[in-house]
Amino acid sequence: MAQINENLPQSHSALKIWSEVSETLRAEVSIDTFRRWFQDVQAVDLDDKTLTLRVPNSIHQLWIESNYQSLLHSALMLATGDGRQVQYTFATTPETQASLALNAISERDAAPEEPSAEKFPSGSGLNPRNTFESFVVGSNNQFTHAACSAVATGPGKTYNPLFIYSGVGLGKTHLMHAIGHQILAANKKAKVLYITSEHFTNEFIEAIKAGTLTKFRKRYRQAEVLLIDDIQFLAGKERSQEEFFHTFNALFDGNKQIVLSSDRPPSEIASLESRLVSRFEWGLTAEMQPPDVETRTAILRKKSETMQVKLPPEVINFLAERVRTNVRRLEGALMRVASYASLNEGKVPTTEKIEMLLKDILQEEARRAVTIEQIQRHVAEHFDIRLADMSSKRRPANIAFPRQVAMYLSRELTRSSLSEIGEAFGGRDHGTVLHAHRQVRDKISKDEHLRQVVSFLDGDLQR
Amino acid sequence: MRFSVARDTLLAGLQTVQNVVSSRTTLPILSNVRIQAADGQLRFTTTDLDVGVTCVAEAQVDRPGGTTLPVKRLASIVRELPTGEVHVEVEGKNIASLRCGQIFFKIHGLPEDEFPPFPEFSDCKLFTLKQNELKDALRKTSYAISTDETRYVLNGILFSFKDSRLTMVATDGRRLGLVDLEVEFPQSEEVDVIVPTKCINELARLVGDTGEMKMYVAQNQVAFDVGTTRLVSKLVEGNYPNYRQVIPNEVRERVTLERELFQAAVHRVSLLASEKSNSVKLMFTKNNLEIAANTPDIGEARESIPVVYKGNDLTIAFNPEYLMAPLRALPTDEVFLDLIDEMSPGVIKIQSPFLYVIMPMRVS
Repeated sequence: MAQINENLPQSHSALKIWSEVSETLRAEVSIDTFRRWFQDVQAVDLDDKTLTLRVPNSIHQLWIESNYQSLLHSALMLATGDGRQVQYTFATTPETQASLALNAISERDAAPEEPSAEKFPSGSGLNPRNTFESFVVGSNNQFTHAACSAVATGPGKTYNPLFIYSGVGLGKTHLMHAIGHQILAANKKAKVLYITSEHFTNEFIEAIKAGTLTKFRKRYRQAEVLLIDDIQFLAGKERSQEEFFHTFNALFDGNKQIVLSSDRPPSEIASLESRLVSRFEWGLTAEMQPPDVETRTAILRKKSETMQVKLPPEVINFLAERVRTNVRRLEGALMRVASYASLNEGKVPTTEKIEMLLKDILQEEARRAVTIEQIQRHVAEHFDIRLADMSSKRRPANIAFPRQVAMYLSRELTRSSLSEIGEAFGGRDHGTVLHAHRQVRDKISKDEHLRQVVSFLDGDLQR
Repeated sequence: MRFSVARDTLLAGLQTVQNVVSSRTTLPILSNVRIQAADGQLRFTTTDLDVGVTCVAEAQVDRPGGTTLPVKRLASIVRELPTGEVHVEVEGKNIASLRCGQIFFKIHGLPEDEFPPFPEFSDCKLFTLKQNELKDALRKTSYAISTDETRYVLNGILFSFKDSRLTMVATDGRRLGLVDLEVEFPQSEEVDVIVPTKCINELARLVGDTGEMKMYVAQNQVAFDVGTTRLVSKLVEGNYPNYRQVIPNEVRERVTLERELFQAAVHRVSLLASEKSNSVKLMFTKNNLEIAANTPDIGEARESIPVVYKGNDLTIAFNPEYLMAPLRALPTDEVFLDLIDEMSPGVIKIQSPFLYVIMPMRVS
């Protein structure tokens, strides 16, 4: 699934969707069935109406369409949120099918192949592309990355539970998968279970309906490492929370590693039982912010290396500057530009062309673009000073400092030049803005509290 | 043309060829049977442009010649004639007069030169098959042929000649039937062809219980010679999918079932299977099989039969018709059902080289 075919570029979004669909299917069918019919399927294209899958030969299409159609469609619906058709293309030309060596009947009666008696689906649902190696570390996620590394090296011995949270598309799932991979790499037999909390809830409901609760509980409590994504979806689901509470305890008491991810800190998850909140906060809570421009550049460079695509630094910088909210969007933009280049015989698109290609992404970014005035307003409110003070000449620290913070944020979040920012702050010199920016940056690296405040404001402004 | 033939012989000849003719034809001449009289025999030929049949019958030919006559009408006439000699004369404009005792019929026909020529088989591969074996193989596989016209490659049976073996396969995506026959042929003659459903149906009618028959395989045509009858058909163009992929290569539990008992039980229980889900549940416990079906608001059915089963308790559901079809076609007293788990296909086997893969249904 990680191979790239020269003839047909594999779309990043198609891969993502297929990996989610695969995960759903894996849980629904027997191991042999999954291996036989879905393991060798690759996703090559995804658009609004269809998902195109590449299958080894026509019997795959026939058998999947005849027997797993509805399953595939509902898994696809689950992954994409809307109904799409599935199309098939073949990996080999029809002629080569005829020459496929026909194994004699005796092979059928020979000893069974690999032990499919693997009762624990360890490592299922882990995207092979999400590893620690492919994760770009920047100041925005260094701490979380280190925590995950520690957990992966010594599961159950360092931070338990580990609670990661961040906004959308910043790498939570990537890190969780990376933890899973590293643990399995060190110990093939490790029982690593990766699921989303929604999957947990659905399975729980199914188990109740089918009366297989014991089997369900056994499955989860047998895990040595439990990785749960998007735990915020447990909000409001009382029975699931209760079940999870028991699962959590069973694992925790047995020193089994638990890693959770969410889009907000435990205390901010509404309708979550307090006993769960306290348990989530028990271990280490780590946050990730949107990457700064340097990290974004690094991510783009790494990604283009992986994709074996050469794009000139201007293009990389352009993308890094303009797409700032989340990494997923950034990678998607890169994908588009790269695909364009590869479909045009390696000709790199001009800036105008890129603007056109990424029109929707850039529009989305622009929509969330903050104005200097918004920043001033927010910061003033937060530090409890007047908006007018932002532009005033008053020097006392309790006013000057917030002003500096506002200048820093203006530099970070808007595309205004230093002079423009200076103008907006009461006709100040561009050098003043630069100085303020540096000051605040230095203070952030030393002061945890300030870092949190700035990040809070940052997030608030970008919402 | 003028000839005399026994009524029974004439009827037999017509009945051999009339099935190939479709009720709705594109060309009027395709509704006709071509009759050629020469050298003490009559030749009857029909075709629908994909499949054609020709056979001969003994007759007393007074004047050789040929014509074509509407086969259905002719057959129904001849059926109503008493046993005896039928005298047929065809004059000028292809109008045939039939005389049998005091009975007289006149039928308008079409000229024989308008009739599509029967394909010649020159450069082709030849295989000799035993009729009873082929008949048996057809019985064991033809019910699994796909009727979905969009999957035209599956609208027929695969004849795979390889390694001194003829493997016949039919599948519709939900179940697959496979039979192996031992056939002698040189390696240079190895070939895979797909014989279309209509031809298979005709072939099944023609093939007898004794003796041998010949199968000719050309580029995109196939011919079967059974006695003096020749059945010719276009082949299905395309490559048959890799059916081996479908056959599970592990077995977890094997059940031995009494075929007729099992079939009857499934049939009874299936009377209460809902139209929507149309499945019967098989619950295997030690040496016992309970078959069950139910339709909400209508009722349920259950039947237990003794079986030879020593494995873990297993429950699996199947479409009852898919289950019964092979059972009806098998001659043995016992059959084996190989199972893996409730989500994996089951395989019905017998002692001789046959297998039937059947996909399970969801156990609700």
